[in-house]
Amino acid sequence: MKAAKYLAIFRAQLANRLAYRGDLLVGSLSILIFMFVFLQLWRVTFQAGGSSTIAGLSLQQTMWYLLLTESIYMSKPRLSREISEAVKDGSIAYLLNKPYNFLLYHFSIGMADSLSRFGFNLLSGGALLWLLVSPPPPALGWPMVLVAVLLAWGIDFCIQALIGLLAFVSEDVLAFDWIYQKLLFILGGMLIPIDFFPSWLQKVAQALPFQYAMYGPARLFVQPEAGQFLKLLAGQAAWLAGLGLLLTIAYTRGVRRLSVNGG
Amino acid sequence: MRELRFLLAVWKANLISAMEFRLSFISQVVGMMLNDAAYFVFWIIFFERFEFVHGWGLQDMVLIYGLVAVSYGVGLYLFGNAMLLGDVITKGQLDYYLSLPRPVLLHVLASRSQLSAAGDILFGLLTFFFAGQVTLDAFARYLLAILGSTVIFIAFLVIVQSLAFWLGSVQVLGTFATNAIVTFSIYPSRLFDASARLLLFTLVPAMLVGAVPAELVRGFTWGRAGLLALGAAVFFALAGFVFYRGLRRYESGSAIQIQS
Repeated sequence: MKAAKYLAIFRAQLANRLAYRGDLLVGSLSILIFMFVFLQLWRVTFQAGGSSTIAGLSLQQTMWYLLLTESIYMSKPRLSREISEAVKDGSIAYLLNKPYNFLLYHFSIGMADSLSRFGFNLLSGGALLWLLVSPPPPALGWPMVLVAVLLAWGIDFCIQALIGLLAFVSEDVLAFDWIYQKLLFILGGMLIPIDFFPSWLQKVAQALPFQYAMYGPARLFVQPEAGQFLKLLAGQAAWLAGLGLLLTIAYTRGVRRLSVNGG
Repeated sequence: MRELRFLLAVWKANLISAMEFRLSFISQVVGMMLNDAAYFVFWIIFFERFEFVHGWGLQDMVLIYGLVAVSYGVGLYLFGNAMLLGDVITKGQLDYYLSLPRPVLLHVLASRSQLSAAGDILFGLLTFFFAGQVTLDAFARYLLAILGSTVIFIAFLVIVQSLAFWLGSVQVLGTFATNAIVTFSIYPSRLFDASARLLLFTLVPAMLVGAVPAELVRGFTWGRAGLLALGAAVFFALAGFVFYRGLRRYESGSAIQIQS
């Protein structure tokens, strides 16, 4: 019953987004810039290395990997800013007395936004890569990748919501948000596959949740294997459970110390 | 001279206003410095693995990345409304500036400071000391390069945002254009082929914001200095032309307010 409520919110938001398909398409054009620059960079890098693969990845695989990480990143909402604004301006108080859970409401809305943008980002960037590089990886792996991407957004949601809730104790959370984005860029493997890291840094990245929000799904996309998928799923589920628990505790405590003046 | 005094007064007012929320200001500045540094880790990892690509190494990257950070920072700290000009136009908020006896464009642009941009400036200036040439000569070239690069960056934003006079909302176009100029400017020109390079010198002048000023810092030649000066003059003039041409089409939003 509860799940149906949030599913309805998700569906309504998705329909809302898809009603403006032109906006989504225009909004997805930015990915063309990034993919074009990456293509120039990695093309000369592979040429300079004189080898057809680097750490087991070909140029084609590297480019499709980067398309997926960019799409995951560019599609997700800036949730931490929304939540921190709601905390700072007190509008959270109006949302708390509605017949839904504040966090699950944002989760449903965020998932709908992410999914709609993801489709269009993949479409635009994918068309460019198909034209300039190669056809996409085998479609057989796509359903597994979609599951992994949804879980990746789940992990990202928990971390962003935790950052947003820091507004209960900190005047400004913008700096925390920037740092988190950069952790995704580097340790999440968004700008460069973790396979290209020195081995000590690979170990650091593997011990943290960021790679499950970016690298894992993208790596699966270019080399889909059932075993790898199950391993990724287990890692994502474990981090999701841990971060979800932490978020629930932070939210409950934050709401308890909420004080709103006026109204 | 009169305009400069006016600008100094506006910037002073912006700073005083920022100081009202001192903790937030400091956290944004420090946060942005960390943010820039964290992004640069990508290049450290990249060159750790590949060393030189097309004769281009980590020190070249430090220089170009730091220089673009300072130009971006100076531009948006001093002329913070450059990214929001389209919004100001479409919401009819130019009324306020039009009612005052000051140059409209200059006043709109300077009336807001992007506080975090101060972090970009500090980060960029720090990187100068890691870019290989720490001499007074090189620093003078660095300042000259920043001046040219900042003028072109802000002028480009003004041109794109001024299209709001004709197109209405330019939010998506503005984001696209800003992403393009920032992304392309932190790469050396030799990474791109001739046709891409032509576009990056004209339609999106990213090479004039990053690669050309960086080459000028590496070594002064009249050719490089002339190219940068010419680019700055052309984009400066074009920005003024497009904005004031568009201003003729502006329709009031009845948004005149008395500010005390």
